[in-house]
Amino acid sequence: MKKVSFLMLLACIVTSPIIAQNSIDFKEFSLDNGLHVIMHKDNTTPIVVTSVLYHVGSKNEDPSRTGFAHFFEHLLFEGSENIGRGEYMKKIQSEGGTLNAYTSNDLTYYYETLPSNKLEMALYMESERMLHAKIDETGVETQREVVKEEKRQRYDNQPYGTILPETLKRAYSKHPYQWAPIGSLDHLNEASLAEFMKFYKDFYVPNNATLTIAGDIDYDQTEEWVKMYFSEIPKGNDDIYRPNIEEPKKQEEVRDVIYDNIQIPAVIQAYNLPPKNDADSYAMDMLSTYLTGGKSSLMTKELVDKQQKALAVAAIPLELEDGGIFIMYGITNMGVKADELETEIDVLIKQVQEEGVSEQDFAKLQNIIENDLVSKNSTMAGIAENLSQSYVFYGSTDHINDELAKYREVSREDLQKVANKYLTLDGRVVLYYLPKSEQPQE
Amino acid sequence: MKKIVLYICLCMVISSLSYAQVDRSKYPEPGPAPKIELNDPATFTLKNGLKVFVVENHKLPRVAFSLVIDRDPLLEEDKAGMTGFVGEMLMAGTTNRTKDQLDEEVDFIGASLSAGSTSIFASSLKKHQGKVLDLMSDVLYNPAFPESELDKLKKQAITGLAASKDDPNAISGRLTSALDFGKDHPYGETESEETLENVSVEDIRSYYQTYYKPNIAYLAIVGDIDKAEAKKVVEKYFSKWEKGEVPEMKYDTPTPPTENKVALVDRSASVQSVIDITYPLEMRLSSEDYLSTRVLNYIIGGGSSSRLFMNLREDKGYTYGAYSSIGADKLITSFSAGASVRTEVTDSAIVELVYEINKIVDEGVTAEELESAKANLSGRFGRSLESPSTLASFAMDIDRYNLPSDFYKTYLQRLSALTVEDINAAAKKYIKPNNIYITVVGNGSEIKDKLEQFGPVSLYDNQGNPAKEIEMTDADITADKVIDNYIAAIGGEEAVNALETAKVMMKAEVQGQVIEMTMLYDDPGMRFNQKVSMMGNTVSNTTLSEGKGSVVAMGQTQELTDEQYEEAKMNMFIIPEAHYEELMYTLTLDGIKDVEGENAYKVIVSNPTGAKSVNYYSVETGLKVKSENEKTGELTYSDYEDHNGVKYAMKMVMKSPMIPVPLNTTVESLEINPELTDADFK
Repeated sequence: MKKVSFLMLLACIVTSPIIAQNSIDFKEFSLDNGLHVIMHKDNTTPIVVTSVLYHVGSKNEDPSRTGFAHFFEHLLFEGSENIGRGEYMKKIQSEGGTLNAYTSNDLTYYYETLPSNKLEMALYMESERMLHAKIDETGVETQREVVKEEKRQRYDNQPYGTILPETLKRAYSKHPYQWAPIGSLDHLNEASLAEFMKFYKDFYVPNNATLTIAGDIDYDQTEEWVKMYFSEIPKGNDDIYRPNIEEPKKQEEVRDVIYDNIQIPAVIQAYNLPPKNDADSYAMDMLSTYLTGGKSSLMTKELVDKQQKALAVAAIPLELEDGGIFIMYGITNMGVKADELETEIDVLIKQVQEEGVSEQDFAKLQNIIENDLVSKNSTMAGIAENLSQSYVFYGSTDHINDELAKYREVSREDLQKVANKYLTLDGRVVLYYLPKSEQPQE
Repeated sequence: MKKIVLYICLCMVISSLSYAQVDRSKYPEPGPAPKIELNDPATFTLKNGLKVFVVENHKLPRVAFSLVIDRDPLLEEDKAGMTGFVGEMLMAGTTNRTKDQLDEEVDFIGASLSAGSTSIFASSLKKHQGKVLDLMSDVLYNPAFPESELDKLKKQAITGLAASKDDPNAISGRLTSALDFGKDHPYGETESEETLENVSVEDIRSYYQTYYKPNIAYLAIVGDIDKAEAKKVVEKYFSKWEKGEVPEMKYDTPTPPTENKVALVDRSASVQSVIDITYPLEMRLSSEDYLSTRVLNYIIGGGSSSRLFMNLREDKGYTYGAYSSIGADKLITSFSAGASVRTEVTDSAIVELVYEINKIVDEGVTAEELESAKANLSGRFGRSLESPSTLASFAMDIDRYNLPSDFYKTYLQRLSALTVEDINAAAKKYIKPNNIYITVVGNGSEIKDKLEQFGPVSLYDNQGNPAKEIEMTDADITADKVIDNYIAAIGGEEAVNALETAKVMMKAEVQGQVIEMTMLYDDPGMRFNQKVSMMGNTVSNTTLSEGKGSVVAMGQTQELTDEQYEEAKMNMFIIPEAHYEELMYTLTLDGIKDVEGENAYKVIVSNPTGAKSVNYYSVETGLKVKSENEKTGELTYSDYEDHNGVKYAMKMVMKSPMIPVPLNTTVESLEINPELTDADFK
């Protein structure tokens, strides 16, 4: 019985590979100043998402001025020549909207969701931010304090909060991915106002930005407003600094112990990945799901349920433009030592490398991926984000509609292949997070 | 190519517009408000009483089934916490599938399936609809409720409870619920280790058999499905679900306090105070003031541009955030306004909170505030419609709470019709500045005196029970007397002095692992040894002998410094109290405290190098019930048993910053005056 339904499922996958992913329609154009604009119309709900992706992240920073990109994510809510200090957020909220922003190693992303009759206002506000944001001593001072509190709350004061910075530091020796977006508070303190203004001029320019509008819109009207508010913004310096640094392949394992304010030890492993748009990325993503995605995944079932050596395990591919890292972490169960858990993790990795993935598990993976991709485009905010990332990182906005096909190209053998190619013991980073109480006394 | 043409066309269109002259000095005017049309879901009812709502939405090829049981709130009393286990127990396997099989089959189709005490939720891609319904209905009809899973869940819940007793926000939540609704109300009762332990598989089964009935249930189907198909699948999967009589519950309605009262939980480790101003309030979706109280709350403290946030954070800098809420519930809900603030500004923050509450009653709101609240609330309403499941929950609300059928269709219209006068009237009716509980979880010794200006201050424990403030009835009692009483209580000086050596073996179990501890005492020889082992491996070995101490752990030997040795010495004797005098320890009596429901004398023991340990001795029995030490943590003693004329605690609970869960240790064997050799202390 089980076998029959399994075969039927396979048949279903083979005959109708594209059925599940509904195609996302969009229109796009560029302004003379280089601003790229993507629009997606969906009149089901009277809301509109307006987003701007600036192609600047922590990797574009000067190594002696880390944290700049993230700092700007704060600074650019301070206001503009026409928008008063602190008004940006209040205005969006009091017009019935919500807003947010984030910074990664590769990009800075701003977005707001508003009732659709307020699209013009959103475009005006984003254009103010791009044309003449308010960058002054007061704003810099205020946001320095806020970023300090943020670092305390999210990294220093958070159990295991430093995993990302500590791992990046060791996974890269040359590439600027070696520092995390939060960067260094000292660098921010040392920086002068002129340096902040220069960063704004260098990176916050239309030719480094992608404006995406998704929701209850009229294409013509939207284009007209975009032209109206964004055309006058001058084009920036054409040579936007993008590091062209190849990270040398590590020849041996980097191993370290971090003593933190935690109760329970954790094991972290990190493996270097190919660039985000490499075909192998799809296989690595599926591999991470195979290892730790869902209650029945290999490591969750074996290490958490059966052996009870771990409280939790997770494999997360941090995909980055120039090649990110595959981070795996396991938190030990009571009385289990970090190295015991690591040994078991390695046993399972070797198992995948030697035996690959069963047909049954491979079919399961394909189903999970399909479900995830469909859900990814269930909100306007999700669609706007995917459209802009498709354009900036995959070279074509239409990538949003090819994603499932790309995953479908991954074969069972590919999973075994990438497990051997990337999850290599020599060249990985291994960190133990141990309670401070276990730190040997000097 | 096409793109280029489009681009040229655009340039032409645009260049004919005078866009260069944009007025940037002000915000563009919004267009006419968009029409929001709400379509009614298709509805039908099965013969067994199950009400079904179908929201068709073919945008994405997926479908979700959400089953909701609408029962009255339950008072669980000595089994408080039972309903918290029901969902996981439903998902712990069926008579057809083990938990592993169920997990595997759900994951295989990339679906989600989860359950709670009053809900089962399933969603999947359309093409797996049949399979996910098979799994969902198996969980609904044939849960196996395995005992082993309940044991695991109880352990997790008790671990969680232990952590929450130290979490100031969790403490504050329990306290406010207890005050607002009372411990004898479903919303006010709290679970304890004892009530969680009381829950049996039979309780879960009986709950399931009583309440999982179609006649009090709703099924919302949302997604890529039409009414005809929905009818077919519902008939197939849910028509054999048998209806049954479900008990209804009634409770007295809690009332606000007649005067302002301050409730304090003393948490000496706190650097922040968690403040809440609260009282019970009757407010239902069906109330005519429902919408005006939404607006009212937004203006007081519903967002980050509301009055509380602007005053306490932006203006005063007391806190990272200050918010208020007014709930809506069939039975009873509450008003709440609060913030977490630095200890030093606790009283100032309360002054501001009370000021804002008074001000809104006395002075009302402005037209500008009203407009911005309306815009925010209608924006939220509009955004909520992006998720098609919102329409299903609207339909469910209308049925559950007997709302007019156009309740949500007229929502925005009714919201926009509200006037300043409406909001001011609601403020006068619902905000009660003179009938509030002011609850504070914080460092009592720093803030207690300053709280008295707001009303009579009562102390509560971390479970929301009144803390016992105990007066010393025996004026002549001293620390030495307490120790003498203890020695007498365990068997008298003579029996205690007869103890020379002892071998004690103790066991504890943590998440399936057994920890063993063996202690060897040689009082006249001033020698002590303690070995801790786990699954046969020695984890640590501590030896005190000849005025020195060493600890072997993880293959490393550490010699104790003189100070560390002196501190370790405080616990190296079979009955440490018998040696206090000769060791010249200083004893201080610090009143009577409540130790888990028992009155106990608190005695602070200091050794000559300044190390301190605090012991508690029962007023009633004289026995030691607890000891505390900064480094080693907390020990609670119970189950005293007579061995060779001396009473010894057979159970100990150890809590320490070094271990994440409390250790329940039991004495396995106790040998008095055995022969010990030099080899035992090497």
